[in-house]
Amino acid sequence: METPAILAFGFYFLVIVVGCFMAVGCASLVRALVGLVATLLGVAGMYLLLNAPFMAFMQILIYVGAICVLIFFALMLARADADGDEADPAPAARTFKGVLAAMLPGALLAPILMLHPTASKMIPAEVPLAELGRRLMEDYVLPFELISMVLLISMAGAVLLVWERRDK
Amino acid sequence: MKPLVLYQLASLVLLGAGLAGLVKRRTLVGMLIAVELMLNGAGLSIVAATQLTGADAALGQLATLLVMGLAAAEATVALAAIVVVFRRFGTTRTDALATLREQQ
Repeated sequence: METPAILAFGFYFLVIVVGCFMAVGCASLVRALVGLVATLLGVAGMYLLLNAPFMAFMQILIYVGAICVLIFFALMLARADADGDEADPAPAARTFKGVLAAMLPGALLAPILMLHPTASKMIPAEVPLAELGRRLMEDYVLPFELISMVLLISMAGAVLLVWERRDK
Repeated sequence: MKPLVLYQLASLVLLGAGLAGLVKRRTLVGMLIAVELMLNGAGLSIVAATQLTGADAALGQLATLLVMGLAAAEATVALAAIVVVFRRFGTTRTDALATLREQQ
C-alpha cells in the first residue's frame, strides 16, 4: 500500500478500535451506541479504501441509518443512563471471561493470519455498480428474493410480537 | 505486511470486541450491540478477501449485502423480543430473565 493509504487505514483502524472499546466498555448504553456508530463509520471508511464505495454507502444507510436508530428506540426501554442497568461494575470473574472471549479468537486466528498470509493484490479489484445490479438480477436472483422474504417475514413477526389486542 | 492481512486483523478486532461485549454486557440491548459488531467484522472480512485476491469481487460485495440484510432482519426481531421481555419482566437485564429458576 502507498503511504496515504496506510495513513488512512491507520486512522480508520484507530476509529474502529476506539469505537469498539466504547461499545463494549461504556457504562452508559447511549455512549456504547455512539461507539457502535463510530465503529460502523470506521468500517465504512475501510470499504472506501477497498475500492467498494457502494458497500460504504450501504453500510452507512443500513447500519447507521436503520439499525442504530432501531437500537436507539429500544434503549428507551433499558435504563441507559450512566447509573442505569449497566452501571454497577461487572463482577471481576465476568470481566475476566469477557477478556478471555476476546483474546481466544485473536490468539487462535492472528498467528495463522500472520504466518500464512494469502497472496494479496496491492490494488483492490474494481466492480462497476451496473455489474453488481446485473448479477443480483441474473445469477443471484434467488438469494435476492429470499432476503426480501426474510426481511418481510421478520418485520411482520416483529409487529405480531408487540401487537396488543384491544379487548385485553 | 500484506494488505489483506491488515484488513483481516481489523475484522478480528471486531470479532473479539463483539465476543467480549456479548459476555460482559448485562442487558439485552448491550448484547445486541455486541452482535452487530461481530456481523460487521464478518462483512469487512468477506469484502477484503474478495477485493484483494483473485476471487470474484462482485460475489463478495453481494455476500456482504446479504449479511447486512440478515443483520437488519435479526435486529428487528431481536428488538421486538426485547419489547416483549420488557413488558413481561419490567427490565431487560439478563439476570432477571430466569423463569425456570425458583423465584426468590
